[in-house]
Amino acid sequence: MTLLELRDVAKTFGDTIALSPTSLAIAEGSFVAIVGPSGCGKSTMFNVIAGLLTPDGGDVLVKGERVNGTTGHVGYMLQKDLLVPWRTVEDNITMAKRLTGRVSAADREEARAVARQYGLGDFLRHYPTALSGGMRQRVAFMRTLVTHQTLLLLDEPFGALDAQTRLEMQQWLLQVWRDTGRTVLFITHDVDESIFLSDRVIVMSPRPGRVVADFANPLPRPRTVDTLIEPAFIDLKTKVMRLLHREDA
Amino acid sequence: MTRKILRNVGVPILSFVLLLLVWQWVVVGFHVASYIAPRPRQAFLAVTQNWSALWPLILGTIRETVYGFFVGAALGLGLGVIMAKVPVLQRIVYPVLVLSQAVPIIALAAPLVLILGFSVTPKVVIVAWIVFFPVTVNVLDGLTHVDKDLLNLARVYGASRWRTFIHIEIPATATPLFSGLKIGATYAVTGAIIGELAASDGASLALYQEHANANLNTAAVYGTTMVMTAIGITWFLLVVGVEVFATPWQRRTVARRWRRR
Ligand SMILES: Nc1ncnc2c1ncn2[C@@H]1O[C@H](COP(=O)(O)OP(=O)(O)OP(=O)(O)O)[C@@H](O)[C@H]1O
Ligand SMILES: [Mg+2]
Repeated sequence: MTLLELRDVAKTFGDTIALSPTSLAIAEGSFVAIVGPSGCGKSTMFNVIAGLLTPDGGDVLVKGERVNGTTGHVGYMLQKDLLVPWRTVEDNITMAKRLTGRVSAADREEARAVARQYGLGDFLRHYPTALSGGMRQRVAFMRTLVTHQTLLLLDEPFGALDAQTRLEMQQWLLQVWRDTGRTVLFITHDVDESIFLSDRVIVMSPRPGRVVADFANPLPRPRTVDTLIEPAFIDLKTKVMRLLHREDA
Repeated sequence: MTRKILRNVGVPILSFVLLLLVWQWVVVGFHVASYIAPRPRQAFLAVTQNWSALWPLILGTIRETVYGFFVGAALGLGLGVIMAKVPVLQRIVYPVLVLSQAVPIIALAAPLVLILGFSVTPKVVIVAWIVFFPVTVNVLDGLTHVDKDLLNLARVYGASRWRTFIHIEIPATATPLFSGLKIGATYAVTGAIIGELAASDGASLALYQEHANANLNTAAVYGTTMVMTAIGITWFLLVVGVEVFATPWQRRTVARRWRRR
């Protein structure tokens, strides 16, 4: 079933075409990676989907319903974890509830359960300043999870992490994705990451961005570090890299 | 922990003692005449021996300082918020506020007495006049620099403007707000004393000092200055205390146990 559909969605800032008319359909439960050169409009596309920006043309549909310029239908996470320093880990996880209604005892219990399940049970009462970058990103992800949105937009969530932590986070994310069955749209600059995680890799052109390729990812799951050296992996990586670096060649 | 307390409390006390020692040493060492500067002990005695006369005056100064501070802080916070939320108002009001601070405070007293008489009100107005400005400037600055991505995230959640304000913008402005309050707290007593000098007809700490001066009671002059300073420092420390209590995340890694909501 199609959860999200973009129909010729475009966005312009003054004279800058940030996103040329783009169409996409995302199946429920899938994990879709988006790669493209810097400035090609990936974040703009997310902002339009989330409703932070209203598209200049085209429609955004979630479960068949037009949601142009309205918010409240996605979970959103950026490279910056955006944890608030004045709240504990637990209170950061329940942030969305606090901003939209009352944080109930059940919400707190859920936050604690999620934190415990994914290895942050001992840090519930810590302030975020006491956490490492990887832990902070995990808290930010849990905060996104407990909004119970089926559609999660992740914009380079691991971009600021070191290679070691990033690999751990990728495996962790796959585990959570498998447990919770959410639909994930994942922007990254890291081609390895895009293939390692996804069912589908979408490649965008340089600005003004549009979709130039849409690869189904044949790699079996579960994926391990060995996945990174399988021929099918190398094959897909080659195709994506060729597209991304056409100009440089 | 004990080291920290020692550093935060011990060092200021040490510098205070050092100050008194230097004072003592200068007065004795340079044979300063007692009508120019008393020894610390004499200044202390001038205060303690006249305590029953001084105490009501001290209370009066404290009252002016505290009332003025609260009025100024509330006004400063309100103006900061309004200007941050309504940019048009900011362009109109901000220059007026800057102008208000260019008026010499002493020159403000005469018209205030004409308007408000010799009551406690003109002193409160003067203190508030001094206190609100650093609060407004800091709050405005804090509110306009809240992370735009964080505000966008709140929008993605579907948060109302009011909830975003209460749960994001206000706590994000806590640090600059307290900076403004601390600056205000340091100047509050000065405002109260200026008010007492320029706008009292009856008894006040400032006039007490003037009388002591006229009677060549140097020890009492110095003693009164010490009392005024003590009021200022105490008020400043109270504000710092409130900040420490209200912003635990600034120095703790784990929340206090009872902080459960
Ligand atoms: N609010 C804005 N106002 C004006 N121009 C903007 C705005 N947001 C983005 N742009 C422009 O739109 C283009 C696309 O930006 P966007 O942030 O979507 O790129 P991106 O693909 O996410 O890049 P990166 O990979 O570096 O994050 C850029 O040229 C950018 O300068
Ligand atoms: Mg981006």
